[in-house]
Amino acid sequence: MPLAAATAPAVQPVVILLLCAAAGIGTIFLLPGKREASFRNIGGLILAAMGLIFVALLVKFAASTAVGGMNVYFWAFAGIALFGAVRVVTHPRPVYAALYFVLTVFASAGLFILLWAEFMAAALVLIYAGAILVTYVFVIMLAASSTSTRVADVMAEYDTVSREPVAATAVGFALMGVLLFVIFDKAADLPVYKPAATANSIQPAADAGNTQALGYYMFNNQLINVQLSGLMLTLGMVGAILIARRKVAAQPGVVMVPEMLSTPSTPVDDNPYSIPVTGTDNPRAKAYPET
Amino acid sequence: MSQLALEHYLAVGAIMFCIGLIGFMTRRNLIIMFLCTELMFQGVGINLIAFGKFHNNLSGQAFTIFVLVIAAVEASLALGLVVLLFRQKNTLDADAWKELKG
Repeated sequence: MPLAAATAPAVQPVVILLLCAAAGIGTIFLLPGKREASFRNIGGLILAAMGLIFVALLVKFAASTAVGGMNVYFWAFAGIALFGAVRVVTHPRPVYAALYFVLTVFASAGLFILLWAEFMAAALVLIYAGAILVTYVFVIMLAASSTSTRVADVMAEYDTVSREPVAATAVGFALMGVLLFVIFDKAADLPVYKPAATANSIQPAADAGNTQALGYYMFNNQLINVQLSGLMLTLGMVGAILIARRKVAAQPGVVMVPEMLSTPSTPVDDNPYSIPVTGTDNPRAKAYPET
Repeated sequence: MSQLALEHYLAVGAIMFCIGLIGFMTRRNLIIMFLCTELMFQGVGINLIAFGKFHNNLSGQAFTIFVLVIAAVEASLALGLVVLLFRQKNTLDADAWKELKG
């Protein structure tokens, strides 16, 4: 670990707490509320400035310890991911918040690639940006379309006014300050693991990539868990259908008959490969079709 | 970890988790609240994969796959619940369900 040799922590804890407090004030301004747009811009500026100061401190420390250049890709991906995260929380329009979450997911996939987890990056993009976000956007559209009587520019009151922004931001940034302090103070003391030549290692064979290695690991060591997660997905699907289905009340006196096609399909001609036609317009309709 | 230390990735994960936590507590739209839960899952995933790289094994990535599974199940169930609640009160406001506090 690069910080193991250093005696001083990367960032002084007082500095971390001060930065977190200032960033919290910026976030309070930035959250949706009944303020002018200029206040929100000021909040965004404060938050961005705190982030830049934090990054500058880290880069300066890393340069002073001479552990090699900092990876520019890491800073770019981390910055984009955190910017997207802040916008998810502070954007008053739900669809835009969902799209900023997609940005965060892509930047996180970049971070995963930097950590040699290519399969996880691909799975993250597929599952989060592809499946989960589409579901979210569907539900947002569903809810927005049924209340379309209001003008599109007028946003709902529950989107524009936050609930207890000061208390929530104080709690969140207090937690963030403590976490960052512990991480930068104690992470250097973790024992360094040597690359292990076991089956559990990241590269079990010279020609096998991360995806193959992960496949070996999952189906050799985690087989029960894989099956359990499949079972859980099935249970979730059944539960979602049960929760969201609309109960149709049976009206008295009306016998509910399952819908059927009015006329069975009949072949157009004697060619066995022709497509059967449904309906009564078929001139060669037979009274009792063979199929 | 030749170029970057573990703590940088842990810091990104922690910051993302806290931002999601703040959003979960402050936003009143039910859908955005669950979106912020996904944000917290994301931060935890970065943490897990960073630790997996640090320990040089695949446990972190395998754990993240299961986190993804749980996130997918949670999203489907939560959105089903949101649709159900929206049908009851015709609003997505979480404060419309204040009486559940007891």
